[in-house]
Amino acid sequence: MTLEEVIEREGYSVIGRPTPKKDGWIKATGEAKFADDLYFPGMLHGKLLRSPLPHARILHIDTSRAEKLPGVRGVVTAKDFPGILYGDFAHTRDYLPLAQDRVRYIGEEVAAVAATDMDTAEEALDLICVEYEPLPAVFSPEEAMQPEAPQLYDRAPNNIASKSEFHYGDVEKGLAESDYVREDTFETQSMKQGMLEPHACVGLWEGSGKITLWSCKSSPYVVWRHLAMGLGVDPGNIRVIQTYIGGSFSGGKQEGMPMDFCAVILSKKTGRPVKFVHTMDEVLVIGHMRHSMKIRLKTGVKRDGTLVAQHCRIIANGGAHASIGQLSIFLPGLGLNLPYRVPNVQMESYRIYTNTGFAGALRSHTQPQICFARESQIEMIAKELDLDPVEMRRKNARAGGDVTPSGFKLGTFGFLDGLDRVIEASGWREKYGKLPRGRGIGMAGSGMISGARLMSHSASSAQIKIREDGTVALMTGSADIGQGADTVLSMIAAEVLGVRVDDVTYAMIDSDVTPLDPGAFSSRVTLWTGNAVKQAAEDARKQLEEVAAQKLKADPKHLVFRDRRVYVRHDPQRGMDFASLVRSTQNRLGHPVMGQGSYTSGDEPIAVQGGYGNASPAYSASVVVVEVEVDEETGHVTLAGIWNASDCGFPLNPMAVAGQSMGAFTMSMGQALYENLIRIEGQVMNPSFRDYKMPLIVDLPKVENVHLFDIITNDPNGPFGAKEAGQGPGDGVIAALANAIYNATGVRVKSLPISPSKILSGLEESRSNKP
Amino acid sequence: MKQRVPISLTVNGEIHELFIPPWQLLLDTLRDELGLTGAKRCCIEGQCGACTVLIDGKPINSCLYLTIEAQNQEIVTAEGLVEDGKPHPIQKAFVERGAVQCGFCTPGLVVATKALLDQNPNPTEDEIRIALSGHLCRCGAYVQITEAVMAAARETAQKEVGV
Amino acid sequence: MNYLRELPKFEYLAPQSIPEVCEMLAAHEGEAKLMAGGTDLIIMMRRREVVPHYLIGLKSVPELNFIREEKDGGLTIGAMATSWEIQSSSLVRQRYDFLAKTAADIGSIENLHVSTIGGNLCDGFPCVDFPAPLLTLDAKVKLVSQRGERIVPLDGFYLGYQKTAVEPDELLTEIQILPHNHRYGGAYIKFHDRHAIDITTTGAGAFITLDSDGQTARDVKIALTTSAPVPLRVKGAEAALCGRKVTEEATEEAGRIASEEASPRTSWRSTAEFRTKLVQVLVRRALRQAWRKVTTSSSSGAAPDLWLMHPLDPRIGENR
Ligand SMILES: Cc1cc2nc3c(=O)[nH]c(=O)nc-3n(C[C@H](O)[C@H](O)[C@H](O)COP(=O)(O)OP(=O)(O)OC[C@H]3O[C@@H](n4cnc5c(N)ncnc54)[C@H](O)[C@@H]3O)c2cc1C
Repeated sequence: MTLEEVIEREGYSVIGRPTPKKDGWIKATGEAKFADDLYFPGMLHGKLLRSPLPHARILHIDTSRAEKLPGVRGVVTAKDFPGILYGDFAHTRDYLPLAQDRVRYIGEEVAAVAATDMDTAEEALDLICVEYEPLPAVFSPEEAMQPEAPQLYDRAPNNIASKSEFHYGDVEKGLAESDYVREDTFETQSMKQGMLEPHACVGLWEGSGKITLWSCKSSPYVVWRHLAMGLGVDPGNIRVIQTYIGGSFSGGKQEGMPMDFCAVILSKKTGRPVKFVHTMDEVLVIGHMRHSMKIRLKTGVKRDGTLVAQHCRIIANGGAHASIGQLSIFLPGLGLNLPYRVPNVQMESYRIYTNTGFAGALRSHTQPQICFARESQIEMIAKELDLDPVEMRRKNARAGGDVTPSGFKLGTFGFLDGLDRVIEASGWREKYGKLPRGRGIGMAGSGMISGARLMSHSASSAQIKIREDGTVALMTGSADIGQGADTVLSMIAAEVLGVRVDDVTYAMIDSDVTPLDPGAFSSRVTLWTGNAVKQAAEDARKQLEEVAAQKLKADPKHLVFRDRRVYVRHDPQRGMDFASLVRSTQNRLGHPVMGQGSYTSGDEPIAVQGGYGNASPAYSASVVVVEVEVDEETGHVTLAGIWNASDCGFPLNPMAVAGQSMGAFTMSMGQALYENLIRIEGQVMNPSFRDYKMPLIVDLPKVENVHLFDIITNDPNGPFGAKEAGQGPGDGVIAALANAIYNATGVRVKSLPISPSKILSGLEESRSNKP
Repeated sequence: MKQRVPISLTVNGEIHELFIPPWQLLLDTLRDELGLTGAKRCCIEGQCGACTVLIDGKPINSCLYLTIEAQNQEIVTAEGLVEDGKPHPIQKAFVERGAVQCGFCTPGLVVATKALLDQNPNPTEDEIRIALSGHLCRCGAYVQITEAVMAAARETAQKEVGV
Repeated sequence: MNYLRELPKFEYLAPQSIPEVCEMLAAHEGEAKLMAGGTDLIIMMRRREVVPHYLIGLKSVPELNFIREEKDGGLTIGAMATSWEIQSSSLVRQRYDFLAKTAADIGSIENLHVSTIGGNLCDGFPCVDFPAPLLTLDAKVKLVSQRGERIVPLDGFYLGYQKTAVEPDELLTEIQILPHNHRYGGAYIKFHDRHAIDITTTGAGAFITLDSDGQTARDVKIALTTSAPVPLRVKGAEAALCGRKVTEEATEEAGRIASEEASPRTSWRSTAEFRTKLVQVLVRRALRQAWRKVTTSSSSGAAPDLWLMHPLDPRIGENR
C-alpha cells in the first residue's frame, strides 16, 4: 500500500502529511535558547581542569593559589563530593564527578573552578597544582587483555570491562556442514557523536537544598538519577530542566557529566548559578564516542549461498570508564543476524578498559560496525561462490513473522520490499559489473530495533491537558533532540483529538513537571512514547466523546474528531466545534479534560549479557544502494548516488522520516570515509573540526541523485503503524560504500575509515599481483 | 593594558555604544553583551559556520573576528532577518523544507544564504553547495538545506517581478 | 597541545598608514604581532602558540588593500587583499585564472571574506595554498620597515617551517608579479580528503610559457604544497621540461622527478609515502592542465564571468 492509500483508507487528517518541525521557526530566527544561551543574574563561569597524563595516581592537589585569584569564587576537587560511584548498570558503575585518587585517561576531570568571567576561570586552572605519580598505561585492548598489562580497575581482571556471550543452535556443527567457510577480521575506528552544540549546563543549588540543572540533555531523567546518585542526595531535591538541544546522538547528553556535578556543587559553594560550557576540543578529547572494534567474523554457507552458521568475536576498546558499555557490547550480537536467517549463531564480545577516552553509545549504537563486517563479508562470499550478491541476500532474508534464534519476534519486516525498491530504482542490473572502471555500485541490508526493553525502567508516559480554547498541552518525558519528537508526538495527539498540529504545545522536559521517561535513544521515542501519547489522547477523547454524544444525540462510536470539529459520521452537519465541546465537558465533569497514557513492551526485559528473549516490540529493515566514483590515481571517493529504502512501518511525518534517513546516512558516510579520532599514546591528535572531518554539503550527491523510499508495513505494535526511522537507515551505509568501492576498483578495505591512501595501496597491490 | 575600550557597533540596524575588552571576539559581544544568541558558539575555529553573521553583507565567522574591528560596519544576525515580526523568506523556506532539525547550525546557514542570494539571486545547485560548504550540519539535512535555498531563491525572484 | 582558551589580553593598535605600522613594529619589537584577517592568528592565540602584548590591526590601513596593473603590465596585489577580492578581481581572473581559483578555495566563503594573501604568505606553513601558484609565477614580495624597503623573491622567502624572511620589525606590503610576454598557462591542484575546506594534503602548481615556435615549453615552473618543510619549487622537474613539448610522457617524467625532489613528512595526518604518490599525480595533472591552456586558448584561459571561481564548479573545468 502507498502512503496516500493508507491515509485515504484510515481517514487521517494529520498523520502521514509532511509537517515542518514545530520549533523550526524559533530555531531559524535564532530565538531558541540552547543551554549556552542561558544567562542568569550573578551567574559564574565554570571550567574544568583535566589530566595531562593517561594513567597516574593523584598524590596531592593544591588549590590555594587559585582560590586567592581575584574573581575566583570557588574551587572544587573530588573531596567536595561524597565519593559515590555513579553510572548506568549497578555492576559496572565507575564514574566519579571528579577523579579521586587516580586518573585513567588524558582529559579526565580532576578539579573545577567558578569565577566571575571565563578569563579568570582559565587563569585559575593554571594556578591549581596537581602532583601526579605516573603509572604505566595501556592503550590497545589486545595489550590490555594480557596478564601483565597495567590494570585500570581491581574489579576487572584482564581489563575486561564487560562481556556478552551467547550461542544458539550449534555453530561448530553448522560450520562443519557448510560448503564454504570464510573468516575475516574487520576494524572500525573511534568516532565522535559530533553534535554541533557542545555540552553545556547551568547549575543552581538553593539554600533550601533544591538543586536545579538546566542542560541540553537528551535523557534528562538519566541525568536526574545520575546526579542524585553521585551527589548522594534525594532525587526529589533535584530538578533537571531541558533546554533546546543542538544535536545529541547519545554520549554525554545522555548521562550526568563532570560539568553537571561541578556546576551544582560550585553553586552550593558560591550561592550563585554556575554555567559550564565545553569548548569543542574538550568535547573531542573527553570520552563519549563510538567503540572502535576488531570484529572477527566466521561464516559458513551452502554452495547456493544459504547461510548456515556464524561465529563472531569482538574486541572493543572501552576506554577508561564503563559508561553504558555493558549494553554496547551486547548490541552487536543483537544486530548480527537480524536481517538474515542464520540457524546457528555464536557470539563472544569483550569490552576492554584502556587508558583512552571512554566509549559508549552513538547513533545506532554499534550497528554500523557489525553491519560493515557482515555485509562486506556477504559480498566476498558471493564473489567467491560466483553468486549474485542481491540474490544471496534475498535467499537468506527474513520476513515478518520470523523468530530469530535468540528469540526476537519480527512482527513486520519489509526487507525484501526494500531490496526490490532500491534494486529497481538504482538500475542495479544495468550497473553492477557494467560500469566503467573507477565507477562502482554497492549495497547492504540491515535491521534495527524500535526501542529495547533491556533495562529495568523502560516505559514511556504521556499527559494531555486540554485547554478551554481547544488547544492541547502535551507532556511526555522524551526530549526533542532535533529528531522531530515534538512534532510527531504532537501529530499523534492532534490526529486522535481532531485538532491541528499547531493547536498542540509540546513541553520541554522538566523532571519536576513532565512524566518519567528513559530518554531519547534506542530509536524508541516514536513507538514507545508515541503509543503513550496515543493512549493519553484517547483517554481525553473518551471524556469528550461522552459529552458530545449526549449533545449531538449520537452513539459515541459514530463520532468523528477532525479539523477542530466533532461530528456524526453519517451526518457531518450534526456537529460542534472542538473548543465548545471542551468547555461543555469541563462544565459537565467539573474538572479540566486531561488524559494519561503509558506504554511498555509486553515482553520481559532480557539480560544484556546475551540473554534469550524479544528485544523490542518492532523491528525495522533497511536496504541501501550507493554509487561511487573513485579517482584511481589518488584514491579519492565521490558519492554519486544514494538509494535508501527503509521500513519505518508507516511514516507518520514523512518530512521527518526523510530527515532522519539522510541524517543516519550522512553520519555513517562520515564514518566510512572521513572520520577518525586519532590517539597517540592516549593523546587525541585531532581535537578540532579542522582535522576531525565530518561530511560537508559538498560531499553528498546532488539533490536529484538522492532517492529515499519509505516501505510501509503498518506494524501492529506501533502508533498508527510506525516503527523507528532514525538509526536503521544508516546501518548498512558503511558496508554499501565499501562494496561500491570494491566494485569500482577491486580493492576490498576491511578497516575504517576507507581512506584514499588505503584505496591507493590496494590498487598498487593488485597491480603488482597481476602478472 | 586597557581592560575595556569604548566602541560603537551597529547590529541589525541598531547602534550600540559598548565598553568592551579589546580582545573580545564579535561572537562573544553579540552573545554576552547584546543577548543575540542566534550566532552559536561551536567550534570557535572557523570550521563549522554556526557563528556566521554578515558584515556589510559579507558572511564571516564571528568567532574569528575582533569586535573592535567590526566598528563602523553593518552587522546582521539571524535575528535581524526578521522584519515586523515576520521571518524572512529564507527562514520560512528552511522550516518548510525540513532543513531544520536540531537547529544549531540553522541561524548561521540562514545568514550565509542571505549573503549568497543577495549577491547571486539565481545560484546553480553547485554554487549553493559551495557557498554553504563551510557549514556543518550533523543532523545531515544537507539535501533539505539545498532544497530550501533553491526554494528561497525562487520565492525572492518571484517577489522581485511582483508575482 | 594546549586546549582552546579565551584570547590572551593585548593592547590593540589601529594604524592608518604603512609608516605608522612600521613605527609601531619598531617601537614594540618582539612584543607586537601583525593581524591581517586573523583567521590563523586568532586560533594560534587561543592555543597560546602566540601571545603578543600588542596587536597591530592591519584592516585599518587602506593602502595595503589593492589589486592593480602596473605600467609595465605587471600585477601587484596588496597584502590585505582578501581571498574573495582576489578571486573576484577581473584582472586576476583574466591574467591568472588559476590564482583566482586558488583564492576561491581558501576554505569556506566565510573564510574568503576575511583571510588575506599577506597573512597566507606570512604564516609560513607549508600547507597553505597561495605560495605554490605564486612561486610558479616568480612572484616577489615587498617588505617594509623603518629601516627601508626590500624586494624579496618568494623563492627564497621561506626559510623553514613557520620561518620566513620577514624580520620582526618588517611588514609585507605587496606581492609583485612581473608581466609575461609569451603565451602562458597555469594550474594549481590540491588534494584533501573531503571535497572542500580541508587542509591541503598535497598540492601542485604549474606554470608554462610557450616558446615563440608555438610548440615547446620555453619555461616551466612547478611548486608544491605540503611536500617539504616549506612551499617548494621543484627545479629538477622544471628543467626536465624546458625546451620540450609537454607530452604525456614528459608530464609523467616531471611528476616522477618532482616526487623525488619532494620531502614530505609522515604525520598522523598522512604518510610521506602517500604524499609522494600524490605529488606525482598532481604535478602531472597540473602540467597537463597548464599545457592545455597554453596550447588551446589565446590568453591564459579566459575566466568565465562567474560569481565564484571555485574548482568544484563544473564550469571552471575539470581537475585532472
Ligand atoms: C575554515 C578555514 C579554512 C581554511 N582553508 C584554507 C585553505 O584552504 N588554504 C589555505 O591556504 N589556508 C586556509 N586557511 C588558513 C587561513 O585562512 C589562510 O592562511 C589565510 O590566508 C591567512 O590570512 P589571514 O589574513 O587570516 O592571516 P592572519 O591570521 O591575520 O595572519 C597570519 C600570520 O601572518 C602574519 N601577517 C599577516 N599579515 C602580515 C603582513 N602583511 N606582513 C607580515 N606578517 C603578516 C601574522 O602576524 C600572522 O603571524 C583556512 C582557515 C580556516 C579558518
